[in-house]
Amino acid sequence: MTSYSKEVISDLVTGRLPWHQTRRIMSAYKDDNRFFTYVAVLQERVQWDDRILLPIGDHLFICQSGDERVTKCECGHSFGDYRRNWKLKASISVRNSEAALAEIYPNSDIADPRWMEIREFICPDCGTLHEVEAAAPGYPIVHDFQPDLEGFYRDWLKKPLEET
Amino acid sequence: MLNRPASSARLRERLLDSERLMAETGCYDGITLLTLRARDPLKFETLRTKLRAHCVSAREMARRISASPGVREVGEMVVAIYTPEGDAIALSNGIMVHVHTMSRFIKWMIRNGYEDNPAIRDGDIFANNDAFIGTVQVPDVMDVVPIFHQGTLVGWAGAVCHELESGGITPGGDVCLAQERFTEGLFVCAEKVGENDELRRDYVIRCERNLRMPIYWVLDEKAKVASCIDMRESVKGLIEEVGLDYWMQISKEFIEEGRRAQLARTRQLTVPGKYRGHTFYGHVTEGKPGFQPLGDPNWLYNIPIEMEITTDGKITMDFEGTQPWGYHSMNCTPAGMDGGMFVTLTQHMNFEGLVNDGAWMATELKLPLGTWTNPDNEMVATATSWALLLPAYGVFQRLLSRGFLARGFVEEVFVGQVNSPMIEMGGESQYGTPFGMAHFECAAAGSGALAIKDGLDTAYVGWNPESDMGNIEIWEQSMPMVYIGRSIVANSGGAGKYRGGCSFVSTWLINKTSHLRLHTSEHSSRVFDNAGMCGGYPAPTCQKHRVVRNSNIHELAEKRQPLAHSPGTDPHNSDLEKLIGGRQETVEGPYITAPHKAGDIFTHSYNGGGGYGDVLERDPVKTALDVENGFLTREAAVQVFGIILKDDDEGYPVADLEATQERRARMRKKRLSNAAPVADWIAGERSRVAGQDFAPEVRKMYASAMRLSQRFAQEFREFWHLDPDFTMAAE
Repeated sequence: MTSYSKEVISDLVTGRLPWHQTRRIMSAYKDDNRFFTYVAVLQERVQWDDRILLPIGDHLFICQSGDERVTKCECGHSFGDYRRNWKLKASISVRNSEAALAEIYPNSDIADPRWMEIREFICPDCGTLHEVEAAAPGYPIVHDFQPDLEGFYRDWLKKPLEET
Repeated sequence: MLNRPASSARLRERLLDSERLMAETGCYDGITLLTLRARDPLKFETLRTKLRAHCVSAREMARRISASPGVREVGEMVVAIYTPEGDAIALSNGIMVHVHTMSRFIKWMIRNGYEDNPAIRDGDIFANNDAFIGTVQVPDVMDVVPIFHQGTLVGWAGAVCHELESGGITPGGDVCLAQERFTEGLFVCAEKVGENDELRRDYVIRCERNLRMPIYWVLDEKAKVASCIDMRESVKGLIEEVGLDYWMQISKEFIEEGRRAQLARTRQLTVPGKYRGHTFYGHVTEGKPGFQPLGDPNWLYNIPIEMEITTDGKITMDFEGTQPWGYHSMNCTPAGMDGGMFVTLTQHMNFEGLVNDGAWMATELKLPLGTWTNPDNEMVATATSWALLLPAYGVFQRLLSRGFLARGFVEEVFVGQVNSPMIEMGGESQYGTPFGMAHFECAAAGSGALAIKDGLDTAYVGWNPESDMGNIEIWEQSMPMVYIGRSIVANSGGAGKYRGGCSFVSTWLINKTSHLRLHTSEHSSRVFDNAGMCGGYPAPTCQKHRVVRNSNIHELAEKRQPLAHSPGTDPHNSDLEKLIGGRQETVEGPYITAPHKAGDIFTHSYNGGGGYGDVLERDPVKTALDVENGFLTREAAVQVFGIILKDDDEGYPVADLEATQERRARMRKKRLSNAAPVADWIAGERSRVAGQDFAPEVRKMYASAMRLSQRFAQEFREFWHLDPDFTMAAE
């Protein structure tokens, strides 16, 4: 069975693994213990103790925080109950004018701000840009991912979560 | 126990029986145990590999028969082997779109009594390009031949090529100006086009008299028939080797195993739950010549997708809330929706090449009736259905990728495909003859970024996993234009920690013709029809065409003056405007305009992919290399990525790490000071929504989506805290 060390997975996650090794991992059968190695790597990376239950972004995690399961930024900022859309508790910056769009696309034809805007969802503490939505003005903010956390741990990982 | 021997029952009964068994047992054809696999797994795998090899070999042979650079250079072909009931057992590489489209075609003939009339006999050839029967679009022409063994039908061999010319209202394969099926070109509707292994002469004559460039279609037909016969004989050889009953059983076990493998792969790579995303498509044809008055000249499409993965591993995609079908060529049929899903799924989950119809049985598409995904009118045009399919399945790639990311398979996270507008053309060729063609260099756009590296530059499209732009010299043989440039488009990849892949722009001198019509299909504008992920930005919107009519390029060349080889990096003053005399034109959206003639210059840009991750985490050293190699402008490096560059002794850009760190700290601070809590933004924006203060196309988009979908309407009202009877007014 394929398996990789924590060091290899750590390098893979940070993009530091040499390409020939990455390519081999992409072509090989997948390693069944990847999830736990991956979470262990991420757990070492963060500065807080809450247990990471599921990564859902580049710097965004669902964690067990006391009795609660919350969405948390890598900096430690909590966006609240993981079942609610974390974006609603974020900070937002909207690019809905030609000048604001041209800041990101300085040498290109730009989208029409009457048809489309760019919404930047930012951690209010550390300023990390967690997600960008390109949407028509007035389009409701999308809830990207609602994992079936209990089903995942119970049926797929065979390690049921403790009830909260 | 061989529980399903070759049957002499009529095909229709066999098909209904197979569907009943699936409904009763949940397993394909009622196969609850993989008996032959358990008995001799090595024999099982050997036979499967042989079947796949027969498909790959038949396709490679057939590509040499084709005259079309689309098939020869770009590989726009796939071949497959099917059960008697029309379920795919094995496929070649190539355009994996057609795992289930040919299946629909075969089943359609069975359900419609083809056994009686026109009859299914050894040596017959059937063809189809009707998307409501089973293909994606008019240029996707498929041929199937039955495989008989001692008088009993034991399977089908099938092949699809994408045609470069379909004989529609506008020249080329993807007929961009078709507004109903009657202007899409030559239809072959599940027709018997050959007998005794030979195409009928009258069918070939019909093709010759109804196409602008029949050599492509007719030789592709011959290529497909040759590949089908090759596969048919290979299957007959295998049956001689293993026996008929064994073949009948194992071919179905392959499919049931495919179903189980798809479910297992989903459980292995993703996380169960609900995933959501959306994208948009801007259809802008207002005021353009040739546009018929049936449909709306401008239309903003929203494409929301909700994907659910259940704990048994089934993937369901729901398109509720999207736009209605329209009088344009971008509608899609359920067969086409299957096609889009499979060409995506095979790249991301079935990359070992063993996909078959079993995977289709482990997935489900929910396609609301009356939308562009499932029109309730079979007269609608579908010639350019990829226009909406590509953005839609780009969303699918991002949704799947969220699952890969959550599960830890970061090397599989992929921000996705983009639309890559295609040039269609016709008129008088460089040889003075009538011609028509689609230019397939679009098969090499930029890809979305990965979670661990930048996207692929000029090397990817979703619809052809073997993406290739083809050689300039080959294209120049086929059209009255010569290249004066093929260049990377700087900044065309979406910004992010890992940037999207960059696209390219071609610049041509129109040559040796007095009449060249140029059009573009799948050409969105005014919107982002792609997206970034995890903080990455979308790639820029489709770039405009820059054109010079009656240029002075020959005079400039004679005087050895500098020429423009691309539009350059200033959207307000292109290199063509700076360097070349003549009538300058800038055209937004699909290129539908007056014909060209020799001496004109035409440019066309393809699209790059979306970025991944926060742009302020971008590696400064990589950025300096991007600037050095023309993938990024200095302006963007500083302004967007926050990277300060200085020049080394030889004038090459190098990153100033300390200055970069300071600039990024300032940018992060500015980012925070410019931002507001989302709750405040919603409260402020609500009055705009309640007042319907939007462009007419935006209002129309909401009105259409709310009319077609109660769920969309309810979610929209709930999000903005609007009255339960709120509707959007639209002209």
